[in-house]
Amino acid sequence: MIYAEHLRKEFKKTVKEPGLKGSFKALFKPKKEIVVAASDISFHVPKGEILGFIGPNGAGKSTVIKMLTGILTPTSGQCRINGKIPQNDRKKYVKEIGAVFGQRTQLWWDLPLQETYNVLKEIYEVDDEKFKKRMAFLNEVLELEKFIKSPVRTLSLGQRMRADIAASMLHSPKVLFLDEPTIGLDVVVKDNIRQAIMKINKEEQTTVILTTHDISDIELLCDRIVMIDKGKNVYDGSLQKLRENFGQTRELVFETDNSANLTEELFRKGLKLDECDLVFENKKNNYKIRFNSAKIPVGEMLSYTLSLTKVKDISVKDADIEEIIRNLYRQGGASDE
Amino acid sequence: MKRILKIYTLLAAQNLKRLMEYRADFLTGAVSFLIDQAIGIAFIFIIFTQIPQLAGFTFPQILFIYGLSQIPKGLDHLLTDNLWCVGYFIVRKGDFDKYLIRPINPLFHVIAETFQVDAIGELIVGIGLLIYAAPDAELHLSVWTVLLSVIAVPFAAMIYTSLKIMTSALAFWIKSSGFIIQMVYGMNEFSKYPTTIYSLPVRIFVTYIIPFAFTGYYLSLYLLTGENPLFNIGGVILVSSVLFVISVLIWNKGISAYESAGA
Amino acid sequence: MNKIIRRYVPFMKAGVQNLVVYRLNFLGFVIGGLIYCFVMFYLWKAVFESNGGGMFLGFSMTDMVVYLFLSNTTSQLIFSGVSNEIGEEIRDGSITMRLLKPVNTDLSYMFNELGTALMKVVVLLIPVLAGLEIYRFCMTGTVVFSAVNFLLYLISSVLAYIISFRVNLCFGFIAFYVKNLWGIGILKNSIIGFLSGSLIPLAFMPDGLRVCLEYLPFASMSYTPVMLYMGKYGTYEILFRIGIQVVWAVLLYGLSKLIWFGAIKKLCIQGG
Repeated sequence: MIYAEHLRKEFKKTVKEPGLKGSFKALFKPKKEIVVAASDISFHVPKGEILGFIGPNGAGKSTVIKMLTGILTPTSGQCRINGKIPQNDRKKYVKEIGAVFGQRTQLWWDLPLQETYNVLKEIYEVDDEKFKKRMAFLNEVLELEKFIKSPVRTLSLGQRMRADIAASMLHSPKVLFLDEPTIGLDVVVKDNIRQAIMKINKEEQTTVILTTHDISDIELLCDRIVMIDKGKNVYDGSLQKLRENFGQTRELVFETDNSANLTEELFRKGLKLDECDLVFENKKNNYKIRFNSAKIPVGEMLSYTLSLTKVKDISVKDADIEEIIRNLYRQGGASDE
Repeated sequence: MKRILKIYTLLAAQNLKRLMEYRADFLTGAVSFLIDQAIGIAFIFIIFTQIPQLAGFTFPQILFIYGLSQIPKGLDHLLTDNLWCVGYFIVRKGDFDKYLIRPINPLFHVIAETFQVDAIGELIVGIGLLIYAAPDAELHLSVWTVLLSVIAVPFAAMIYTSLKIMTSALAFWIKSSGFIIQMVYGMNEFSKYPTTIYSLPVRIFVTYIIPFAFTGYYLSLYLLTGENPLFNIGGVILVSSVLFVISVLIWNKGISAYESAGA
Repeated sequence: MNKIIRRYVPFMKAGVQNLVVYRLNFLGFVIGGLIYCFVMFYLWKAVFESNGGGMFLGFSMTDMVVYLFLSNTTSQLIFSGVSNEIGEEIRDGSITMRLLKPVNTDLSYMFNELGTALMKVVVLLIPVLAGLEIYRFCMTGTVVFSAVNFLLYLISSVLAYIISFRVNLCFGFIAFYVKNLWGIGILKNSIIGFLSGSLIPLAFMPDGLRVCLEYLPFASMSYTPVMLYMGKYGTYEILFRIGIQVVWAVLLYGLSKLIWFGAIKKLCIQGG
């Protein structure tokens, strides 16, 4: 369905040296620099799948989404969606996709919401009967009736997002791109939106590519995740597998009195663990240690810690998925599978 | 074609609906342009209190040239004003994304989206001056001259549009090209007066390079003399067609260089 | 004094940097202005020729050229974007951020622009004046430049800037009532262009109108400095004209303060 092969995108950027002198210099001779937003991204999404496309800020997620939707032309590499190359056959291609960019809206700002749908109906050449059916379906899934007559500028963020998703679904696209569809929304609204996405995916076999910073979005919606960082793939696989691979991680949290002076060195040397098996954090007397329980059993870890110092409070937790992903970001990579 | 018309009217209607919400603004714009025009005319008036003729043209004739030059300008202003926004901020802010994910031509979409009622100021003054000045301007009126001139007016407007397309498309490479549009568009000042007052290099420049002379003076010259339709009218059509094709090529090239905004 | 300047220098630097960021826009306006001057130059040339050469209403062609280019340059020099800036800030509510800073609001705007103005003196005024003096030398065969007139021009331009700044400040508050700032901007520029004589020298206007306009603040904005540079006034009139500028600067200062306090009150009611 969706193939991305070695996508790369470079941008030119003007750099200015600091200070007044730099300003004068920039006035007459601006300096250019090439920034690589995506250096080598490849993945494949089969029909009907919901793919979570994640990565830290500035990883190049939006750049990739924009290449897939045909907004940006890749510097090299290519993508094919449904056999079409977005940039080559733009008009036909965009009829098959829908896109929502959470940070901006495609609705007509000053007019009642219904007007936007009427215009989009013509733009996408949806015939009357289909339009009626479609509106009924979207109404049911996204609950638009309450605000469909209000001007868009008066909608709340959650309503606006639902309206935007409906706008991108009006022409029954085969692929839906959602760039941070839950950004800035409260928990209840987030849940609403997730339900809607799931329903659309189930009922219409719509392929969905979703970027988000919210881990619950991924846990609840995605069959698979592709994680990128600094413009490169760092993980591609199911959430399940990620949990299995990194699920051995445990987190030890404890508090000591003032006399203790524990260092990372002490733990690593004492237990003979290397960097990826032990991560050490401390703030004053509070310590947080993440360790690989396959290398060192929890009991051993506990008794070692207790042998070093007196602790006030101690607990061991399973690392949650958010933690695992944070770890992956920090280490800048994990092998595929 | 039918679909294009339908979408155009639909989008224009949205725009009018929006304007109705801000009636005061709509008036401000139209009145502003009207006053701007009035001042331009006052200027000509003051000059002619001192001299009987300017470069061989009488006061009514100069007014006629001035008035005719405002009609293509106003038409273009009415229909394609959104191109300014492309140059100034639509591309820079990344708002151009939306035009690229719709199954219609982005250039058409951008243009159809605004219907700039402010332009009524220019159109009223243009038409008003023509009516006022025509009786005394010793025009060469015949079915032919009038018909050809009427045909030529939309082409003259297209010269404005093409120049705006070209210059606004530069924003795809340099992010914000408002200043270039401003610069090139500003040269329409040259179209208000007979080109014979300019020195030869300037005359060549406004005829063949930034061909604003075709949007006013040559068109009027045909109505004033009835001579040389091949250059005065044919020139408008040829120049604007060539310019339009070039501008669309630049625009399309620009779209593939578009960098959006944000990460 | 020193302390005040130190406090506002960052605003000035920001002004310079702003010009750098928008350097191409700035260039566009400069070149746009020059194009306009050239159109006018040819138009006046045709007018002088149609008039049989020589003088036109007390102006020679050389005078006209100096007037044209210098009044355009002066207008750009004393141009104040404060009306747009205030308008935008009122519209998006960021004006409250400015009110929160522990500095005098007017002065912060002013120093911001002063940075831009200084750059304009260097890259615009000096080259234009040099060009004009060379032109005058070629046309008349003698050096016409007068240091006294230049000094008078500078003093008068500073006053002109203060007036322009205050007028624009008042204009900016219209944003409380009208949304189409852009249309208002066009209106303002063409009205000021006409009333200030930068379009047509006030000397060419019918007598009654001319006298009226000469007393309005707009004439103080570019006409007075340019006429001073050209040495068109006698000693008594020089003092009189500069006096009018001072009076307007003071009056408009008061007016803008008055509107400002009214605006803050309104802001509190609207909640920004």
